[in-house]
Amino acid sequence: MTAVSRDEQRSTTPESPPRTEAVGPTDWVARLGGGGPEQAVALRELHELMLRAAAHQVWRMRPALPDPSPAAVEVIVNQAADEAMTALLGKLHTFEGRSRFTTWAFKFAILQAATEVRRLQWQHREVELRDLDVPIAPTHEGPELYAEGKDLAAAVAAAMHRVLTPYQRRIAIALLVDGVPIDVLADRLGTNRGALYKTLHDVRVRLRAELTANGYLAGRRASSPARTSAASTPRVSPTHTAGTP
Amino acid sequence: MSTTPHPDPTDLTPRHVSALLQDTTPWLSCEECFERMDTYAEAVVRDPAHTDEAMAAHLRGCAACDEEAQSLVQLLAAQ
Repeated sequence: MTAVSRDEQRSTTPESPPRTEAVGPTDWVARLGGGGPEQAVALRELHELMLRAAAHQVWRMRPALPDPSPAAVEVIVNQAADEAMTALLGKLHTFEGRSRFTTWAFKFAILQAATEVRRLQWQHREVELRDLDVPIAPTHEGPELYAEGKDLAAAVAAAMHRVLTPYQRRIAIALLVDGVPIDVLADRLGTNRGALYKTLHDVRVRLRAELTANGYLAGRRASSPARTSAASTPRVSPTHTAGTP
Repeated sequence: MSTTPHPDPTDLTPRHVSALLQDTTPWLSCEECFERMDTYAEAVVRDPAHTDEAMAAHLRGCAACDEEAQSLVQLLAAQ
């Protein structure tokens, strides 16, 4: 089987919906879980879905690849589609029909393809878990001596030393400062994305509580305006640049 | 083999600070995010103004899940 090319992706229009859209969710599960020729057809159609979604994802992240050639992309797409299909079939019994089956299937391929691209992007890069080396601001200076911008950074650094464990600091620095993708870090540490995200969540909760207590952030329900521009914490993806060179 | 880039020791940039202080409550795990991603993406395609507070909080705090959710929305929207 070959990967779906970008041109083939682009040719998919509302006027020519994929054949698989005509198959209902229940039909998909029954056909895939059954036997005989109908199952073989369903498996082939499912693989086509996986190829399409994997190709979509790899092309989105293609600039991050060490080898972005079409041939290399096709290899990654095929591998991701195969692995995603295996993962999906292992969870077929959990499909509840809350979305279209095709949408449910796509997410498996997208996850697998994105994870693979990130892995390839970092495969020759060493990940170092380092502690925070930002100088600690003297705590006796008090919040009134901190201005916005760099001084807030000093307050955050000080809070990181006060309320985080060394492990929490290292995870936060790797993910949010050094830009190591969460999948890559999880793989290197022998853990998973969910566990690292939980650590990151705990880090943020502790830091926000500390900075709120010290007057640098407004509480979630506080009526007074925030002291600093960071209080509203605009949307910033922590490893937004981690998927790109 | 290259190593992770080391920023200037004093350079905890505003972007880093914002990422460190991102409010990711209400809590939603990556596993739960993946579970919801298909229905979330379909809802967003149907109504771009669709909101899901827990999903939004998670996607603000997890770049990997955010990339994948955006990709799924884009894929569905293109159909």
